[in-house]
Amino acid sequence: MNRLERLINLLAALIDTERPLAREEIKERIEGYPDRDESFRRQFERDKDTLRSMGVPIAVEAISVSEPHLGTGYRVRRAEYELPDPNLDPEETAALHLAASSVRFLDEGARAAVLKLGGVTGVSNLPEPDVEVPGGEHLEALFAAISENRAAAFTYQGEARQTIPERLAFRNGHWYLSAWDEIRAGERVFRLDRVSGQVTPGEIAKPPEGAAAPRQSALPPWEFGDAEPVEARLWIDAAQADLAARQAGPRVGVAKNDDGSAVLTLAVRNPAGFRNFALGFLDHAEVLSPAELREDITSWLEGVAR
Amino acid sequence: MSNVEKRLQRLLAMVPWIVAQDGPTLAEVAERFQLTEKELVKDLEDVLWLCGIHPFSPGDLVEVDIVDGRVWIRVAPYFSRPLRLTPAEALGLLGAARIAMAGKDTDPTLTRAVAKLSAALGIDADEVLEIEMVAADAQVLQALEDSVALRRVVDLHYYSYGRDSWQGRQVEPHRVFNSKGAWYTWAWCRKVDDWRLFRVDRARTATPTEEFFEPREVPPVPDLVGAAPSGARVVLELSPEAHWASQEYPVESVRAGADGWSRVTFGVAEKAWLERLLLILGPEARVLEGDPEVGREAAQRVLGRYR
Repeated sequence: MNRLERLINLLAALIDTERPLAREEIKERIEGYPDRDESFRRQFERDKDTLRSMGVPIAVEAISVSEPHLGTGYRVRRAEYELPDPNLDPEETAALHLAASSVRFLDEGARAAVLKLGGVTGVSNLPEPDVEVPGGEHLEALFAAISENRAAAFTYQGEARQTIPERLAFRNGHWYLSAWDEIRAGERVFRLDRVSGQVTPGEIAKPPEGAAAPRQSALPPWEFGDAEPVEARLWIDAAQADLAARQAGPRVGVAKNDDGSAVLTLAVRNPAGFRNFALGFLDHAEVLSPAELREDITSWLEGVAR
Repeated sequence: MSNVEKRLQRLLAMVPWIVAQDGPTLAEVAERFQLTEKELVKDLEDVLWLCGIHPFSPGDLVEVDIVDGRVWIRVAPYFSRPLRLTPAEALGLLGAARIAMAGKDTDPTLTRAVAKLSAALGIDADEVLEIEMVAADAQVLQALEDSVALRRVVDLHYYSYGRDSWQGRQVEPHRVFNSKGAWYTWAWCRKVDDWRLFRVDRARTATPTEEFFEPREVPPVPDLVGAAPSGARVVLELSPEAHWASQEYPVESVRAGADGWSRVTFGVAEKAWLERLLLILGPEARVLEGDPEVGREAAQRVLGRYR
């Protein structure tokens, strides 16, 4: 009896059972465990870890509610174990497979998922992937919290945060989390590479009624913050007007002048983010209003010009 | 993942699929589940055969029949569905689909597949995963992709970020790809007689010419972030406030100082690039090695607009 067979038999027994199985029962029923109790325990623990690491939901429960002296046992509920059937037709599975193959992103996970959906046939000539999006250290843990509707705790820029994660967004080369921040009682956006340590999953939780995580595409750097928005007007010369309008995104007002230059109207909550955006255009741009943002940029530049 | 885990993972996906079919061929099963027929027969006959549950009477055992290259499995309900997706699997597949959908025109079959999978998993992929690509002109992108396929020389009207100017270039595009949300073309540039990487969103027009090019041997695309361009260097001292710049731009080395300031060596491709860096970092950066006049002059030039 090899370990693979023992794992299959253990899993079948845990799924098939109507009530949690005690450790002793497992030792009796599953072939291939050593007789000595200590070695049995060690190997059983290892098998359990292996199954759990693959995503098998092994529950530890009282064997009998009315007879607590029987202690606890193990079982796997079919409803929690089984992948609900998405009823994909072969073309749809193939489309998912093609998407996963044309994109470089968590390839191992995508490959295993396609197998669980029954795999695909007739795909010998796949194109080279032409889109690459990096994964991130905390991406999986936060996605797990979102899919299970759980809270998540982590450290962000040195501060402990208690959040209810809602959405993951990839933008400008970085992953962001939109979440309800339980301590600050508001929606916040976190950049994942600034999360340090571990993400700790918490209880099942929902953001309060009416809360809605803002979409990342609605949040350029100058809108990143809690301050009241200030309307700013930024002039861009003819050489860069089109580039600037495209870079600024759909939420920014663009008024074209006859000479090809343009004036962008932006809602600024974050003066530093606005300054960086404007300075990216060097002397092709000028902040027209308000006076305080004009003043902010000139005093900043005087600090460099000195 | 160990070999045993890989095989177990595959068996748990494969068995329910075979059970639901009426005797698929070994060849088809092997193709779908990405193993050789020999490995498949070994997993089915040596491993799965005689697996089952206590008390191992005939009805409790997995039955495997392989006849004339076809396979049937009968099993009690415990392996009638595959194991649910792990977060890494669901994210890997839904994420890849969302990325593919954000990149280009979307195949309606993919949209339908994502909707069905989202419903089965109870995760609204559209709501939970948001992918934003840098907007490139669709016509420019299409013209470049077609030209890669047809090997056509392209007239590119391009904004050089490093030189801060618009330029016309004749290029031989060999690849078009998207990295970290932005489209690029890796092309032989006839103006400089060398390989150049162009950001597609910085091209105003891409016009295929009547001329076809001989494909060249394509060198590897340079790392987009991480490797510093060869050539000039500048060493800056960055305040803790400005430390983000060392993660954002190509750096050669970073050394932490005792007072929280760090010494960062940047590779400088072009002057306008350095000007922007110095203006954006402002008083949070001090030039240790390099020309301190570059930042000063640029700041005065921009200030000139305001006076």
